[in-house]
Amino acid sequence: MISPVLFPLLAACGYAVFGWRAATAWLGALAAAGQLGAAVTLAVATTGQPRTALSGLLRADALSAFMLIVIGVVALLAMLASPSYLAADLAARRTGPRATRRYGILTQAFVAAMALAVLAASLGVLWVAVEATTILTAFLVGSRRTRQAVEAAWKYVVICSVGIALALLGIVLTHYAASHAGLPPAGRLDWAVLARDAADLDPGVMRIAVALLVLGFGTKAGLAPMHAWLPDAYGQTPAPVSALMSGVLLSVAFYAILRVKVIADIALGPGFIRTLLLIAALASLAVSAALLLAQRDYIRMLAYSSIEHMGLVALGAAIGTRLAMAAVLLHVLGHGLGKSVLFLSSGHIQQAVGSSKISAVTGLASRAPLLAGAFGLGLLALLGMPPFSLFASEIGIARAGFTAGLGWAVAVALALTLVIGAGLLSGGRRMLLGPLPPGGTVPLAPPADGAIRLARSAAVPLVAGLLACAALGVAGGPLRHLLETAATMAGATP
Amino acid sequence: MSDSVYMPLLDLACGAFLLAGVLVLWRRDLAAIVRLFALQGAALAALVIVLAAHEGSAGLAAAGVAVGGLRAGLLPHLMRRALVAGGEGQESRPLVNVATSLLVAAVLAMVAYDASQPLVRLTPTPATQAVPVALTVLLVGFFVLVTRRRALSQVVGFLLMDNAITATAFLTAGGVPLVVELGVSLDVLLAVLVLQVLTLRMRAAFGGTDLDELRELRD
Amino acid sequence: MTGLVGAVAQVVVVAVGSPLLVGLMRKIRARLEGRVGAGVLQTWRDLRKLCRKEAISPHGTGWVFRMAPLVLAGTALVVASVVPLVTTQSPMDGVADLFAVAALLALGSVALALGGLDTGTAFGGMGASREVTLLALVEPTILLSVFALSVRVGSTNLGEIVTAAVHDPMAVISPVSLLAAVALGVVTIAETGRIPVDNPSTHLELTMIHEAMVLEYAGPDLALIEWASGMRLFVLLGLLAGLFAPWGIATAGAGPVAVVLALVVLVFKVAVLGAGLAAGEVFMAKLRLFRIPELLAGSFMLALLAVAASYFLA
Repeated sequence: MISPVLFPLLAACGYAVFGWRAATAWLGALAAAGQLGAAVTLAVATTGQPRTALSGLLRADALSAFMLIVIGVVALLAMLASPSYLAADLAARRTGPRATRRYGILTQAFVAAMALAVLAASLGVLWVAVEATTILTAFLVGSRRTRQAVEAAWKYVVICSVGIALALLGIVLTHYAASHAGLPPAGRLDWAVLARDAADLDPGVMRIAVALLVLGFGTKAGLAPMHAWLPDAYGQTPAPVSALMSGVLLSVAFYAILRVKVIADIALGPGFIRTLLLIAALASLAVSAALLLAQRDYIRMLAYSSIEHMGLVALGAAIGTRLAMAAVLLHVLGHGLGKSVLFLSSGHIQQAVGSSKISAVTGLASRAPLLAGAFGLGLLALLGMPPFSLFASEIGIARAGFTAGLGWAVAVALALTLVIGAGLLSGGRRMLLGPLPPGGTVPLAPPADGAIRLARSAAVPLVAGLLACAALGVAGGPLRHLLETAATMAGATP
Repeated sequence: MSDSVYMPLLDLACGAFLLAGVLVLWRRDLAAIVRLFALQGAALAALVIVLAAHEGSAGLAAAGVAVGGLRAGLLPHLMRRALVAGGEGQESRPLVNVATSLLVAAVLAMVAYDASQPLVRLTPTPATQAVPVALTVLLVGFFVLVTRRRALSQVVGFLLMDNAITATAFLTAGGVPLVVELGVSLDVLLAVLVLQVLTLRMRAAFGGTDLDELRELRD
Repeated sequence: MTGLVGAVAQVVVVAVGSPLLVGLMRKIRARLEGRVGAGVLQTWRDLRKLCRKEAISPHGTGWVFRMAPLVLAGTALVVASVVPLVTTQSPMDGVADLFAVAALLALGSVALALGGLDTGTAFGGMGASREVTLLALVEPTILLSVFALSVRVGSTNLGEIVTAAVHDPMAVISPVSLLAAVALGVVTIAETGRIPVDNPSTHLELTMIHEAMVLEYAGPDLALIEWASGMRLFVLLGLLAGLFAPWGIATAGAGPVAVVLALVVLVFKVAVLGAGLAAGEVFMAKLRLFRIPELLAGSFMLALLAVAASYFLA
């Protein structure tokens, strides 16, 4: 059970010792594959009964196992894409051997910290792991050392650290309420014990604690109003790391909110946290809709789309029925896959064009059909088009919302999603179609015809990610049982 | 320890903790701000040790010494080094001028007092009655973070918030479990180190640490 | 009866002693700066000389200008008679309310500011505007810091606050007392126009506050103003000592010996505080004028925190 944390840590040690070489480049992918395997085993083992390890420090139930699968899948995609991405960067002298070694160590440690976060039995350890992800990714965000990179890294660390500090205060207050309720010292921060005895917790204290926890972990999950770091950070991060941060880090932070929600539903009644999540969800959707309409930068466009999807996830969690929670979890996985493909392909586009401006990219469909196809299909997946799984999960959230009497919120969300869809589509259309750039103005296009070459190893994760996302949408059967168990663990009300 | 000694000592430690936090708003000299932060760390350590003496707990006393070592020793030392390396002694022009921000701090104290009533009502012991003090420092720290324009001042603001959270933890339930406390301390230390490195890079890229220069990324 | 005697003695000591206090402080400053300086009695000699001169009021000034020194001196005398410096059993005790005292002090300041305005000169107006700016921050601070002390006692009567402090000397080291003491110390300095807020011994136009207002006064009027200013300094220092180091003040049931002792202790405490203030002034520079509101806002905030703490740490 400790192996999902251990594999990436070992890979990190490997990079620390050997550096980033041709031989070690695939080490990360190997570790991610091992992690994914361990996660699937764990998922099979925990569908019945949660399991603990390390004298109760770690606990895995179906929800943790599901989150581990998400981490494993996205990490695998990102690590498969890393070698070709870094090779292109090395060839263009944008990076050096020291930077690539650090990239190897930090990304692996980052994946390990996320795995630890979803396996932690104590809210305190969960907090420590989530804060560790901030610190580990800080240097990845600022790795280019340009003015923009330093600015993005500074904002990222300061905003996330402050947000997460509020969550720590929430944890401290939860601990206070728990010790007053007479919980045993070892279990005062254990989410399972807290959920069992939540009815004894003082509502006055818990109200403050839950609000702080949602605000704090919501910062890390990119929910409005504390989302400001997100577009800046993604724009300055290597594409595989952006994929990891958008695809899973946001979801891991949201996982913390789900655990808090279970406790809060019993201690305060479902109304309190539902209100908080609804506000955050609609605010996030509104923010991303407002900023996507006239977006001129395609990486920031993807970042705002991440805020939108976290808003949808928060909306589903606010609804909180069994259908809604299962749809939320499916959405997390589908978004992880789709967004990874998009970030990875946008990374290749950026490497080829040398700019992240939408106006710098035209006629992509004829210059690089495969890349353009992956990018376009990824956008369609994010818009919730069938056959991709986000279609199923968005329909699930909407249906659950109408049956749960939150139809107005769903209606508002759908309207905002339409606006966002229009924004994304117009951005995508300008990039994929449009005239071919006249030969001289493109700064970087070695072949004379303006085509963009894509290494075969770089194409594999793009295609695999899209296929997985589509397969999940067409036949989510094998996951059904896991999703339902995990939804129950996440406090789904019938 | 008898109540007649415990109460004044606890109150004194809390008063020093609060005063050091608020005076950060008043000083412009960055070296003085770091000194005040160290003083606050010492007050926090004293607070924990007083609580330990009251409860007769050796573990808590050890935690107090560790807190003091980190927050009154190591972190101020790191910041002082960054200060010497940077050679920028003064806060430039805060977003909100000093007189106004002092008045805002007074308002924040009221807000903190009001917000912490449910916490005090749960167990009205002398220790929990001091929780509003910690929350005031938390809000003041947030205010420093939002309105000050030097990188180092922002770090101090963040650390003030962290001190306040630690104080809340000890005042409410005698601290959180050891694993969590260790993890939190390590995270804070690393965050400060990361911010220090970023400060150096900022100086290399912008020629200063005035955060108003950070305006390249926006929508 | 002892109360009445004590109250009268208190007014006499303040009235006679305040020029001596000013003289003492000037002497100490001179010595620390390496000068011999005038004797302690020099202030009295100055006052006597001013009183013998003809009363002159500038052309175009009205009754406000002439009344201002009288109001200032009158309020100072009333304050000197009501605050519990020597005994808490004064017959005026019922008037010794926190709000009344603060209002009386403010009345004196406002009268002087109006007098400065009435001259119609640039300096008078400038001094008045500066004085009122400071007043806006000083008065609330005095109110709040004494109020913080009164929360514990449950009364805004200064006599009762001092009595409670005499009976429970340990309470003086509480955060409430310390915060209020610092706040009150700062506003005492501002209210009496000492360094670092104002420099009493200069007529430098860029910085002066108090001196700018009284620039047009001469003769007996000026003597009255100087004397009243001295009394305000004496009373505020005495109040500071009484609130935070109340040892020796005669409380209920004290005999004549205690009153005499209280008088001696009062003179001693005020002399020590005055000497400390003078010594501090030697080592400090005057703040730039636009930094003064920061200092006063700081002391206001300390006072507010003292009030807050008196509720927090009840």
